[in-house]
Amino acid sequence: MLYPVEYYVDGIRSGNRAVIARTMTLLESLLESHRKLAAQVFEKIVPLAGNSIRVGITGTPGAGKSTLINSLGMYLIEQGHRVAVLAVDPSSTHSGGSILGDKTRMPDLCSREEAFIRPSPSSGILGGVSPGTRELIMICEAAGYDVILVETVGVGQSETAVVDMVDFFLLVLIAGAGDDLQGIKKGILEDADAIVINKADGDNIQAALRAQTVYGGVISFKRPRIQGWSPEVMTCSALQRTGLGDLWEVVLKHNNWLLESGKMKRLRGEQYARWTAQLSRERLIKEIFKINNIKKYMDLLEQEVADGGITPLAASAKLTEKVMSNLRKEK
Amino acid sequence: MDGHAKWKLLAEKEASRLHRDFNGLYKDTPEKITIKPLYTAEDISSNKLTDTLPGSPPYIRGPRATMYVGRPWTIRQYAGFSTAQESNAFYRRNLAAGQKGLSVAFDLATHRGYDSDNPRVEGDVGKAGVAVDTVEDMKVLFDQIPLDKMSVSMTMNGAVIPIMAFYIVAAEEQGIAPEALTGTIQNDILKEYLCRNTYIYPPKPSMRIISDIIAYCSKNMPRFNTISISGYHMGEAGASCVQQVAFTIADGIEYIRAAMNAGLAIDDFAPRLSFFFGIGMDFFMNIAMLRAARYLWSETVKEFGAENPRSMALRTHCQTSGWSLTEQDPYNNIIRTTIECMAAALGGTQSMHTNSFDEALGLPTDFSARIARNTQIVVQEESEICRTVDPLAGSYYVESLTSEITEKARELIDEIEKHGGMAKAIEAGIPNRMIDQSAAAQQALIDEGERVIVGVNKYRPEKEEHVNVLEIDNVKVCREQVAMLKKIKGERDAAAVETALEELRDAARKGENLLESAIKAARVRASLGEISDALEDIFGRYIQKTSCVTGVISHVFDQNEAAHKDFENVLAKVDEFEKVHGRRPRVLIAKMGQDGHDRGAKVIASAYADLGFDVDLSPMFSTPEEIARLAVENDVHVVGASSLAAGHKTLIPELVTRLAEMGRHDIQVVAGGVIPPQDYDFLFEHGVKAVFGPGTPMLESALKTLDVIEAED
Repeated sequence: MLYPVEYYVDGIRSGNRAVIARTMTLLESLLESHRKLAAQVFEKIVPLAGNSIRVGITGTPGAGKSTLINSLGMYLIEQGHRVAVLAVDPSSTHSGGSILGDKTRMPDLCSREEAFIRPSPSSGILGGVSPGTRELIMICEAAGYDVILVETVGVGQSETAVVDMVDFFLLVLIAGAGDDLQGIKKGILEDADAIVINKADGDNIQAALRAQTVYGGVISFKRPRIQGWSPEVMTCSALQRTGLGDLWEVVLKHNNWLLESGKMKRLRGEQYARWTAQLSRERLIKEIFKINNIKKYMDLLEQEVADGGITPLAASAKLTEKVMSNLRKEK
Repeated sequence: MDGHAKWKLLAEKEASRLHRDFNGLYKDTPEKITIKPLYTAEDISSNKLTDTLPGSPPYIRGPRATMYVGRPWTIRQYAGFSTAQESNAFYRRNLAAGQKGLSVAFDLATHRGYDSDNPRVEGDVGKAGVAVDTVEDMKVLFDQIPLDKMSVSMTMNGAVIPIMAFYIVAAEEQGIAPEALTGTIQNDILKEYLCRNTYIYPPKPSMRIISDIIAYCSKNMPRFNTISISGYHMGEAGASCVQQVAFTIADGIEYIRAAMNAGLAIDDFAPRLSFFFGIGMDFFMNIAMLRAARYLWSETVKEFGAENPRSMALRTHCQTSGWSLTEQDPYNNIIRTTIECMAAALGGTQSMHTNSFDEALGLPTDFSARIARNTQIVVQEESEICRTVDPLAGSYYVESLTSEITEKARELIDEIEKHGGMAKAIEAGIPNRMIDQSAAAQQALIDEGERVIVGVNKYRPEKEEHVNVLEIDNVKVCREQVAMLKKIKGERDAAAVETALEELRDAARKGENLLESAIKAARVRASLGEISDALEDIFGRYIQKTSCVTGVISHVFDQNEAAHKDFENVLAKVDEFEKVHGRRPRVLIAKMGQDGHDRGAKVIASAYADLGFDVDLSPMFSTPEEIARLAVENDVHVVGASSLAAGHKTLIPELVTRLAEMGRHDIQVVAGGVIPPQDYDFLFEHGVKAVFGPGTPMLESALKTLDVIEAED
């Protein structure tokens, strides 16, 4: 059931959980009518958005990312923050359904009034981030959440997408697993504004401290994501909730630095520019293939390629030529 | 031509007359064992284990020389409900009617270390067991039951420290010293992390609690079994017989290590380790499972350097499978239980619980409990199977199965050992995943009719019989418990309690024996919740993430053409739904209350995901309010509340109310699990749109759920 635009806008402004959630659903919907309505709502809430600290969190499997988010979220609530967690859960099966088990790992946080956690199915979307994640961030901001944690899932494509929508990118690792650098893509280390070695508790403290030294060495040779910031390596225990204050100190320091140096405006500006480019590309492609003769021609070419009558290279050239000539005719 | 070749020729002819393929006479089991249509002397000719004797290692034929010829197994029915007073009366009636030992079921609040007045446990107090808050409850529970004569088995794993302390102090106040106590405490925490989920603390301090209990008992309670290493719950979670044996023995290995690391000598505690297995419907497989388990245990304990033969003997309790019981045509369950009871006896169990036929519907009544008990009595005293020891020894088939299970289980144990033992393997999710896969695959076999369940997927009755189940007035029990607790707290010496609790915290910090300190706290009437909390202050409370396998169910359905078609049909409907609504149907599978049984929830989550739904899982042990918030935040179409522990009449209506309060009365609620049919109308009246009992085929429930969502739109 759809409601008037004001219903959503007012609901978001007053922090109504049900309305926030419904707006998110509209944004994620595949239906044109839903997305149109969502876009109208979005236009209205943009002026209210932007005033949060956006933190992306990634890590190797088993590093305890979700537990860290649970503990960090609880810490932040104690500090008087309101925390939104956006998680994309991609355990899609071949049929396209998915299991979203994220909240089972954040039992404390998900029972708090000051928290909003939304796992989104990523069915069919490459890169692991659902299309609306950026919009979801802004909805949460408009609803008064002042810290947004965006969790990436798995290791691989989704990091790149998340880096491009947050102010601070945190890499969670543990000592010893996968023997340090293996299993972490090089690019992720470069993107990280800080690394935290989790599970620094019990017998594991020494190993965590050693890992801290090792990563400290490695990271000092990398080019930072934002010029002028030197990434830090810390340790923490999400389980025993130690080291979280120090971790947050670093995030705040980074945030102040971005704001005071004027880099925040530039960073977000560039992110929005890339977002525009990406959206436009996706939209254009979708629209082009809706044009009947283009779609038909594409099917034809694909068939020819499959039969071996023409090479993929030649086929794509032909298709492009067709699209361009259509456009020229329009003129 | 040799004998076997000649038989094969004949068999092929017969098969073709019956329009059967000869190779089709070979059957694969969930244990990944291929059963041959015929076993002969050749199959056991190289088997060195067929020529052993009962009463000495390797104990394949039984832990005692005379087995049931000397004394039959102990009939020990597991029971407990409502208040200590009611349970006590029930026990005394049963003992008068021929039951030999006691087995106490505690309610879930007690299991998880909460007092009855804790708001988190509202729906659970007195439901699936008896509520125990202080030593006073324990005294009432054993009123007029002489604890030096009656062996008492207590199923307790999470809150073992306060429960053992209460038991010891209750006996003390009956005038009985710890030395005289006989019985068993389950105290098997590893399988809680693996499948039963009634843990409290993280694995490490939990293992220490176990060593403390073993240490205390080997010093003070020499006749008491300090642990009952349990495969039963794995079987209920869907483990195959091979998995059940392997993981149980692997758990046992971990406990031996823990006790030895705590400085105990193997022969000082190994004789007091006991076992608990679940017996399912595959008759010979289950018999062979018990024989294989005894062999593997004897081998294992010997490798740890045991010299006392009694250390190497596996003594076990068995329970017939609850999973094999059906809600439909429930009287068939009496027959199933009889078959399983026979298998446990022929496998050589030391004690047994037979399920009541109505346990897939709710809690047993006096009537159904009597039939369950009589099942054992009839087998024991009328069938004459107790005349000779291990009557199936030497059977080509049973001996072959025994050695195949032994081999396959040993491989699995080795694999677990490679991961650093069971505790580490569980943490890495390895055995968990294997059991989940087995569970999903077995459910799929049932749903597509490959495994027959009479009255469910074959020979369904036209009309279902109405069966009465026990109704617990949960609100009344809770009120009584809370009043009692308040009274005790008002009369006790508060300063002494605080001192005792601080001493307990101190013992936890310093590594001193926790049970010794807890006994002191129990004497001054510290409550179960207070003792548990004191330990939690030092150890923390454990949170387990729930994960779920995918792809298994669709894979099984793909194996069979007709089933595949049904499956595709549902998939197509889900795709159609997505086209109309702009997203896939989104369902939240919710576990509310302290009920940790999550096999059903996980299998259904797995099936729905394979069928194209987006499935949210809730954290375990949630309150209705938390579930409502989750449903609203994730904007699901429907919540599927899974309930197996009798809390449904309190928790599910409250969920419906909370959803409405949050402005989302349009989010539908369906329920599944062990819910008595006479409660269906109650649930419908409270806004539940569909109820799926045990045995509902997965595709049927998915379609119905889809209908429920569409009806709203």
